[in-house]
Amino acid sequence: MIGLVIHKLLMLAPTWLPSIVAIASGGGGHEAAGDAHGGGHSSGPPHLPSLLGLLFAHDSAAYLWSNPIYAIATSLIMCSVSFVVYRKRTMIPGKLQNFLEVLVEGMFDFFKSIMGKEAKRYLPFLGTLFFYILINNFWGLIPLGHSPSTSINVTATLAITVFLYAQWTGISRLGFVGWLDHLAGSPRDVISWCLVPLMVPLHIIGELAKPLSLALRLFGNITGEDVLVAAFVGLGIAALSFMHSPVGLPLNLPFIFLGMLLSLIQALVFTLLSSIYILMMLPHEEHH
Amino acid sequence: MDYQSMLSLALPLGVAIAAVGSALGLGRAVGSAMEAIGRQPEAAGKIQTAMIIGSALIEALTIYALVVFFIANGKIGG
Repeated sequence: MIGLVIHKLLMLAPTWLPSIVAIASGGGGHEAAGDAHGGGHSSGPPHLPSLLGLLFAHDSAAYLWSNPIYAIATSLIMCSVSFVVYRKRTMIPGKLQNFLEVLVEGMFDFFKSIMGKEAKRYLPFLGTLFFYILINNFWGLIPLGHSPSTSINVTATLAITVFLYAQWTGISRLGFVGWLDHLAGSPRDVISWCLVPLMVPLHIIGELAKPLSLALRLFGNITGEDVLVAAFVGLGIAALSFMHSPVGLPLNLPFIFLGMLLSLIQALVFTLLSSIYILMMLPHEEHH
Repeated sequence: MDYQSMLSLALPLGVAIAAVGSALGLGRAVGSAMEAIGRQPEAAGKIQTAMIIGSALIEALTIYALVVFFIANGKIGG
């Protein structure tokens, strides 16, 4: 009974764990690379102002906690939409329920093609992860929004969550000895046993490199697209500055569309790689 | 040569070289995908999905170089 509760809590981890860890790690601080701290104004990459940045001072708590606030807004959006549909679900679905069913079934088919029959068990975790990262990425593309994925704290939290969940899956499904055996490269004959001192550090480094690459990939892509949009906004304003006009050319419009595509792709790649890491921990037939 | 000149010279060069590498890799990946679609147009949807995912993984290596650029960029300017 308690195991079932823990299992459900772990499956819904992408909704509550990142908010908690981001808050615990000091508010996920709004540290853009090259941002000025204290003294001189060193010009880092250009950033667009966010709603919290316009409403509050730049050293107030409400601005420094931008990332957790937007991340919790994402969680609230997801939870409220699901709750509204869940309360009044019918056999013949209305429009919103139909839309959500299309999303869930799309995710289910996608993961079935990767994980086979294990997909149903891990679908809540992976589907929530996908939509959480997707809506987080989209915040940066709407005006006066700020994407929490532009902070390495947030992306590293998600990557560490996936890493711990994959290891927990390995330990719980293979048993502790089976998990160590998997880390040692599944030695079966004499040659494999002799290679164990080589395989264990190799596997450990490989396992540690996975969350690192996940975090850096998501962080770099989303920061890059944010900086791209901001740079073209500046260019658009500079293009009309000769006539002192209050508006600029909307040169950033195509890059907003590019940003939407990239956000979708990055959320998909993050979730796909997480599902593959979990799949690698489950008992599978072929040995490396 | 002080470290600021070195950094200002080396950082964009690093990102540019990483971009060359990823452009070559992406060219090969997308080219193979085009060939595969030409060979079997019914499978275009699956091939396209696999191509997008592969491209994102290849792109990630250039993004690592960009991340290093952002980290070291703050050091320029004393």
